[in-house]
Amino acid sequence: MIPLENFLLLSAVLFAFGFYGVLARRSAIQILMAVELMLAAVSINLVAFAAYTDADRFTGIVFAVFVITVAAAEVGLALGIVLRIYRERATANVDEASTLKW
Amino acid sequence: MLNRLPIPAQFDRIIVVGATIAVLGALPIAAVLIALLLLDELTAPEVVFWAVAALIVAGALGTVLLPNIVHAAVSLVATLLGVAGIYLLLGSEFLALVQLLVYGGGVTILLLFGLMLTRAADDPVIADGAQKPFAFGVAALIGGIFVAAVLDANWSQTDAAAIGIRDIGQRLFRDYGVPFEIASLVLLVALIGAIAIARSDQPEPEAAEAEEVTT
Amino acid sequence: MSDLNFDYALLIPEFILVGTAILIIMADLFRKELGLGRLVLPAIAALGTIAAGAASLAYIDDVDDFANVIAIDNYTTFFRVLFTVVLLVVVVSGYEYVERNIRHTGEFYALLLLSTVGAIYMAGARELLTAYISIELLSFSLYVAVSLAKTNPRSAEAGLKYVLLGGVASAMLLYGMSLIYGTAGSTQYSEIAAAFSGGTSEYGFALLLGLVLLIAGLGFKASAVPFHMWTPDAYEGAPLPITAYLSATSKAATFALLLRIFAGPLLPVIDQWQWMMATIAVMTMVGGNLIALQQTNIKRLLAYSSIGQVGYMLMAITTISDASASALLVHVAGYLITNLAVFSAVIAFHNRTGKEELDDFAGLAETNPYLAMVLTAGMFSLAGMPLLAGFVTKFILFQAAASGGYLWLATVAVIASTISLYYYLQVIRRMYLLEPARGESGRWRLSPAGYIATGTLTAGVFLVGIYAGPLFTVADRAARVLALS
Repeated sequence: MIPLENFLLLSAVLFAFGFYGVLARRSAIQILMAVELMLAAVSINLVAFAAYTDADRFTGIVFAVFVITVAAAEVGLALGIVLRIYRERATANVDEASTLKW
Repeated sequence: MLNRLPIPAQFDRIIVVGATIAVLGALPIAAVLIALLLLDELTAPEVVFWAVAALIVAGALGTVLLPNIVHAAVSLVATLLGVAGIYLLLGSEFLALVQLLVYGGGVTILLLFGLMLTRAADDPVIADGAQKPFAFGVAALIGGIFVAAVLDANWSQTDAAAIGIRDIGQRLFRDYGVPFEIASLVLLVALIGAIAIARSDQPEPEAAEAEEVTT
Repeated sequence: MSDLNFDYALLIPEFILVGTAILIIMADLFRKELGLGRLVLPAIAALGTIAAGAASLAYIDDVDDFANVIAIDNYTTFFRVLFTVVLLVVVVSGYEYVERNIRHTGEFYALLLLSTVGAIYMAGARELLTAYISIELLSFSLYVAVSLAKTNPRSAEAGLKYVLLGGVASAMLLYGMSLIYGTAGSTQYSEIAAAFSGGTSEYGFALLLGLVLLIAGLGFKASAVPFHMWTPDAYEGAPLPITAYLSATSKAATFALLLRIFAGPLLPVIDQWQWMMATIAVMTMVGGNLIALQQTNIKRLLAYSSIGQVGYMLMAITTISDASASALLVHVAGYLITNLAVFSAVIAFHNRTGKEELDDFAGLAETNPYLAMVLTAGMFSLAGMPLLAGFVTKFILFQAAASGGYLWLATVAVIASTISLYYYLQVIRRMYLLEPARGESGRWRLSPAGYIATGTLTAGVFLVGIYAGPLFTVADRAARVLALS
C-alpha cells in the first residue's frame, strides 16, 4: 500500500512549484497557470485525506469537486479581464500594465 | 489536418520535440521502476504512483520554467492529467473523470483561446522578471516548510478503499446541496462577469446622452 | 412540516435576493422593448433588498440549521440584516454614479445582490466547504464589479491584480483548510472542535501550518497587513460604490466568518494561533494608519484607514471571549454606518465634481457646508471622537481587549487610533481652512437621494454615539449563539 505521506509530499512539492511560478512569472496567463498548479496540489491533499482518514464520508472528495469547479471558473473570469486589458493596452504582462503600483 | 486547426505553427514542432525529450527522460525512470517491480521491491500501484508523480513534477517544472508560454500550457496539461491518475490511485474514479473533462477539455481550450486572442502565440517567449532569485528562495523555503510539516505529523490512516460513484452523488447532491447551488451561482457570476468585462462597449445611445450631461 | 427532505423556508431571504438578481438581468435585457426608465433597475434592486431584509427578521431567536451546513440563528440574522442594509445604502447612494460610470448597469446590480448572498452564507456557514464556496461567491462578484468602471482605465487592471492575488490567497486558504480537515477528520465546525479538544499533539507542525495558511488566506480577504497589497489598488481602480461595498460588506463578512471559526472549531487550539493573530493585529493597526498618512487620493486614504480598522477588529479575535465577540459585532456595525456615511458623501462629491484627490476637497465648507459637515462627522467618528459612533464602539472594543489580558494590545490600538486622527484632520483642514479652487466657489446642492443617504447615515452615526443601548443588546444576543464562556 502506498503511504499517505507520499501523496501529501507530492502535493507539497506541487504547491511550492506553483508558488514559484506566481512570484517569478510576468504574464498574467503564466501566473494563472501557476495558480492552477497550486489548486491541483490542494485537490490532491483533499482527496488523499478523504481516502485515508475519512473513508466513510469522504467529504474531501466532494470538496475537491468544488475546488475544480471554482478553479475552472476563475480561469474563465481572469481571461476575460486579460482580454479587456489587452484590447486597451496591447499587453498581457502584469508589470507592463502598471498605472497602479504593483 | 494540423495546419487547418486554429493552433499556432509551433504546435506540431512541440509535439515532436517535446515527445522526444519526454520519452528519453521517461525511459530510465520506467526502466528503474520495472526493474524494481520485477525484483518485488515495489508493488504495481507503487510503480504507477512513482511514474505518475514523475509526470506531475516534470510537467509542473515545465509549466513554471519554460519561457515559451505555449509550451508551458502544454506542460500544464501533462501535470493535470497526471493528477487525474493520482485520483484513480486514491480510488476516486469519479473525480478522475471530472478532472479529465474539466481540465483536459475545458481549461486547456480556454487557456489556448486566451493565448490566441491576446496574440501571445505570435510572440510566445516571455522572459521571467528580475525577481527570479527571490522567487526561488521563497518557494524553496515554503516547499521545505510544507514537507517538514507533512513529515512531522503522525497521520492516523486506514486502508484507502475505492469510493462508489453512487455514494458521491448522494453526498454531493443531498448533504451538500446548498453549497452546490452556491457553486452554480459562482459559475453564473463568472459567466456574467466574463461577458460583461470582455464585451467591447459600443456606447448605447442612452449612455452617450448621460455622458454629455456630465461633461 | 411537509415531506421535503429539508426545510427550504429557512433560506427565503437568499431566495429573494437571487430572484431579484435574475429579475434585474431579465429586465435589463428587455429594457428597450418594455420602455423601462433608468430608475427601474435600482428600484427593483432596492425593493428586493428591503424584502430580503424584512424576511430575515422572521428568524429572530430561531435556532436551526439547513442540512447541517448553514446555521440559522441570531448570529446569521444579525449579519443578514446588516448586509441587506449595506446593500440598500450602496444602491440608493450610488445609483447616479452607476448610471454615468458603469458599463453594464443590469449586471452590476445583479452582481451586488449575488455577492450579498455569498456574504450572508459566510456568516451562516457551519462547515468549511460551505464557508469556502461562499467566500468565492463574494470574491468572484467583487473581481467582476471592480473591473466594470467605464471611464477609468485602471479599473480592469485593478480587477486583474485582484483576481490573480485572490486566486493565490484562495489556494493558501484551501491548503490550510485541507490540513485542518486532515487533522480533524471532518469539515463540520462542531466535529472539528470535538476532535481538537481531544488533543492535537500527534499532528504537531502540520496543524500549525494549517492555521498559518488559514489566517493568511482570510487575512488577505480582510486585507490585514502583510496581505493587504491588493487593497489600495482595488479601492482606487474600482467604481466608488464598489469601493464602499468592498470596505463594508467584504470586510464584515470576512470577520463574521473569522469569528465563527475562531470562536468555535479552533478555540481548543487557541494557544497555537493567538500569538499570530496578535502579531497581525499590531502590524495591521500600525501599518495601515502610518501608510495612510502619505496618501493624496481619497480612495487610497480610505483604503488604508479601513486597513487600520481591520487591525482593531483583529484585536477582538485575538482576545476572544464573550465580551470581545459582542464588542466586535458592535464595532463592525458602527464602522459600517460611519464608513458608508463617508463614502456616500464622497460619492455625492464625485457626482458633482468628478474628482477624488484630497486637494479637490479644498474649500468644501464654503461651496457645500452640509457635505463638509457630513464628512467631518464621519471622519471624526472613524478617528473615535466622543459623541459619535466610532468612540462608543472603539471604547468597548478596547475595553474588552484590555480586560481580556491584552492591555498592551489595547495600548497599541489607542496609539494607532491617535495617529489616524492626524490624516482625518488633514481632510477636514482642507475643507474648512483652504479656499476653493478658482471658478468653483459657487454653492451647489446634492440630489435628493444624496440627501437621504447622507442624512440618514449621519443621523445613525450620532444615534449610535449617543444612544447605543439597543445595538449592544442586539449584538449581545447575536454573540451569545457562539457559546463562549
